[in-house]
Amino acid sequence: MDSELKPVMEGIFEVGPPPRLCGSLCPECNEKFFPKPPVCPHCLGEVQDINLSTKGKIYTYAALQMGAMYKLPVPCAVGWVDLEDGLRIFSLFDPEKVSELDFGKEVTLQVGAIGVDNNDQSCLRYYFTPENGGDK
Amino acid sequence: MRDVDIIGVGLTSFGKHLDKSLVDLGGMVAIEAVKEAGIKPSEVNIGFFSNMLAGSIFTDFTIGENVLWQAGISRVPVFNIENACTSGSSAFNLGWMSVASGAYDIAIVVGAEKLIVPNLGMMQAGKTELDTLEGLVVPTAFAMRANLHMKTYGTTKEQLAMVAVKNRRHAGLNPRAQFRKPITIEEVLNGPTIADPLTKLSCCPNADGAAAIVLCVSDLSRRYNSRPVRVAASVLQTGSYENPCNLAVWDADRRASRIAYEKAGLGPKDLSVVECHDAFTISEICHYEGLGLCPEGEGGRFIESGATTLGGKIPVNPSGGLLSKGHPIGATSVAQIVEGYRQLRGEAGDYQVEGAKVFMAECMGADKAGDVKTCTVNILKI
Repeated sequence: MDSELKPVMEGIFEVGPPPRLCGSLCPECNEKFFPKPPVCPHCLGEVQDINLSTKGKIYTYAALQMGAMYKLPVPCAVGWVDLEDGLRIFSLFDPEKVSELDFGKEVTLQVGAIGVDNNDQSCLRYYFTPENGGDK
Repeated sequence: MRDVDIIGVGLTSFGKHLDKSLVDLGGMVAIEAVKEAGIKPSEVNIGFFSNMLAGSIFTDFTIGENVLWQAGISRVPVFNIENACTSGSSAFNLGWMSVASGAYDIAIVVGAEKLIVPNLGMMQAGKTELDTLEGLVVPTAFAMRANLHMKTYGTTKEQLAMVAVKNRRHAGLNPRAQFRKPITIEEVLNGPTIADPLTKLSCCPNADGAAAIVLCVSDLSRRYNSRPVRVAASVLQTGSYENPCNLAVWDADRRASRIAYEKAGLGPKDLSVVECHDAFTISEICHYEGLGLCPEGEGGRFIESGATTLGGKIPVNPSGGLLSKGHPIGATSVAQIVEGYRQLRGEAGDYQVEGAKVFMAECMGADKAGDVKTCTVNILKI
């Protein structure tokens, strides 16, 4: 069923399995980006598509307790994840595991049907979920 | 560049103005500022109007021409400015630049906003932004910073709450503030949670309001005003958007204030009084550090020391700040500068900082890549 749903934004992730975030690399500057910029903002050269790491650790996070947009479940936890390949990226966290979030917690990329898009249609979002049994 | 002075201001109370349109609010303060400056409307060479949300709330646009016409100003260049929370200070920066550059002698800056409307919803960075689509709203963005600040520097929830308590105590002295009843740390902590650790009283309320400023080249200012206030520095910076972002420190604050201090030939120790963008309690704590009022990581202990309360070493937000007045976005950062003008002229009433000589207004707007989109720092002196 999920495969019929559209991503919340095009060009951001591959549904998989396994799911992937669509990053990019400037071979001149050796800089990675997410999401993909039209050109490298440092040298204005072309960037190459790369798959980003699907694992990382939580840098910081917070959970909204009321008024979440896009029919996202409340509490709606979001934050920044330090991916294993060095990028720090913003993400939604697993709505089922908000109580497990902590600084430095190991998390894994998922893609699933959560909430709606700007047209009020159910859609796919990327999110990170805490690893089972993992400590900080 | 030429020296530029403020020669007149106008300011509404912040709160509910249900009987006034946006144009009426802007017109009122424009008239007040022109009258205080003692100029004729025809002497204004250029106008800047700031507003953020009338386009989406009321489907209104190019509002500045309507506002300034109410004050008798037409047949001059008028620009409408949107730059999120710094819309007003961005308009001020352009007004200052237009006079400092020599292009014009007298400029007017007006900011106005009406946010007391049904179903305003959560503020966010824009509905086509990936971060918004992934669930980011403004309170969560600041709660993430607060959590990281507490984790990194040992800042406590009580210290965060002290910002709201202090600013509300100040607001009790300001008849134009929306919420004036004193609050306690316990009331802040025990209120409804918006995004932990931020509770309802940790977040600024909505408001309607307007503010205006007349700027004049210094060579002419005493012709109109016997005690003009000098713009010692006016700076606007954007974020860096480098990866990885640092959410515990606001580099844009540091950068903008460093440039402003250099331009003014002043430092943090020279400041008599500050109005900063306390949209959330954590914001004011981070601004203490970014503006150099205290060392990095010490913001929590700085509020606790009492340094930023009226009568303290460096009073911050003596007007009550956005936490007590509310945040009519397009007016907010014009109003901060109006507060500075009145403080330096000794006209701030019960929240006057005695002997104030140097004032700083700081504001920040919008969110991109874990950084801010805009940051303004303005220094005034007398």
